[in-house]
Amino acid sequence: MVRLNKLTHYIRAINAENIKEWRIEWKYKPDFFRQFLAPFVYLLPFFLYGVALLGGRFSEHLRSLTGVGDMIAYTFIGYLIMGFLNTACWAMGWSLRKEQWYGTLDTIFAAPVPRWVYVAGMAAHSTCHQGLIMLLQAIVITILFSIAFQTSGIMLVFLIVALMVIGLYGLGVLIAGLTIGLKQWWVISEALSTLMLIVTPIAYPLAVLPVFLRRVSMLLPTTYGVMGARYLLLGEQINIGLGMIFIRLAVILVVWLSIGMTIFLLMDRFGRKKGFASLY
Amino acid sequence: MRVIIEEIKKDIRILLTYPAEIAFWIISPLLWVVPLVFQGKALIGGLQSTAFANLAGTGEYIPYVLIGGIFSTYMFTAVWSMGNALRNEMFYGTLEHILSSPVRPIYILLGKGLYNSLLSTFFVTIQILICVFLFGLDITLQKIVPIAFFLVLLMIGLYGVGFIASALTLLIKEAQGVLHLFEYILFLFTPIRYPVEVHPITRAVSLFIPLTYALVALRGILLGIEFDFVKNSLILVALDAIIVPVGIWIFMRIEQRTKRRGTLAHY
Repeated sequence: MVRLNKLTHYIRAINAENIKEWRIEWKYKPDFFRQFLAPFVYLLPFFLYGVALLGGRFSEHLRSLTGVGDMIAYTFIGYLIMGFLNTACWAMGWSLRKEQWYGTLDTIFAAPVPRWVYVAGMAAHSTCHQGLIMLLQAIVITILFSIAFQTSGIMLVFLIVALMVIGLYGLGVLIAGLTIGLKQWWVISEALSTLMLIVTPIAYPLAVLPVFLRRVSMLLPTTYGVMGARYLLLGEQINIGLGMIFIRLAVILVVWLSIGMTIFLLMDRFGRKKGFASLY
Repeated sequence: MRVIIEEIKKDIRILLTYPAEIAFWIISPLLWVVPLVFQGKALIGGLQSTAFANLAGTGEYIPYVLIGGIFSTYMFTAVWSMGNALRNEMFYGTLEHILSSPVRPIYILLGKGLYNSLLSTFFVTIQILICVFLFGLDITLQKIVPIAFFLVLLMIGLYGVGFIASALTLLIKEAQGVLHLFEYILFLFTPIRYPVEVHPITRAVSLFIPLTYALVALRGILLGIEFDFVKNSLILVALDAIIVPVGIWIFMRIEQRTKRRGTLAHY
């Protein structure tokens, strides 16, 4: 009973953080609407780069590697799924640093809830917000570029993406923890997201990566998220089965969350002991 | 002049407090190119593209995107650093002190602009050295003078862009996202990753952005692609002559507006 009360207490705090974030974002309306526009502007250069290389939309070489010749559809699914990387690297990583800048970090840390609850609140908010952005992006791009998807496995795609996102929460908690000690959060976020964008097969199959990067790629939830979604939606040929994708995602989820939480708790304790939690 | 020098010194001190940032700005522009290299390999299966050659004048897409990535550092630091300069002062709690000191704010921004130019040049030099030693990029002394000439013209134009970005921060406060969008727009409409001739809209919009002419010239010099030296120089000078006064005017108008409305210290 006590445990249940505690859990309800945490969930209320997470929801309060989520609502607070929506309210703050709504205060800056140009930025709020910009977030719905940015993914389109971000995506188009990748399409145009492909068109410049191919002189059109279809690639015979991509077809021979993946079974999918449509460069636009292939690239689009990759970048759509990777939108959730923002949740981990930016929203969650930035959560504590932002409170620090607002001057509210000490006040928040004095509240009777564990500190990871704030990061979880940001994760809840960002997942909802990012989900909405991606839904809009998916509808517009699909219509604009007349992309045809296989819809029979759509529920499995949602399940794969959900597992991937929970795995990414581990990364978000890790970045938030590192921010307590290293302060300049955006460098950590940008560096990690850049590395993940390289290693994850977003706009290319694993086959074009050097062997060592392919091995690293196998440790990322995003690799399985993108590969699974493309397999189900576009029929991409992949060399592991769907069952294996679920198993590996589940294992990665546990490992990433454990590592993220451990580092967060260690950094939090270290920050309090050294007294630099509120230092800039 | 003293204000500008002090501003540069202060910014260098802040940067040295976060050394990870220095490593990030040196390495990242090179890393951003890597996915494009893999994407190219997946799409065409080689290092040369005929379609690309028809548009860009060179079929070798890797040096093309590498040069775009390196020189776009100037643009990113101008947009990011100058755009966020006042917002950061706001977060540090020093914005009101700075803007109420007996100095024209434009000198403070000029200091920040000069600091960015020095920093970007330092980053770009190291990136080019990495390319010379790792990828065999050919740079002779003969090429350095025209490169420096176009870089100066580019930096002047970017001051104007930086002034506008700073003004935007004063106006809408939470400008980070908008600056990100601005960055994406520049990615879309300038030949950083691909020749803008790939689409009529990108070609039309790119005509008004100084980075377009600077990149055409810099690639021409470094990769031996044919380009009109005089035409590109004159257009860059003309664009600089328009963008810088417009940027200063916009900044001064918005700065006065925020002071009049008392919203300077608002978050």
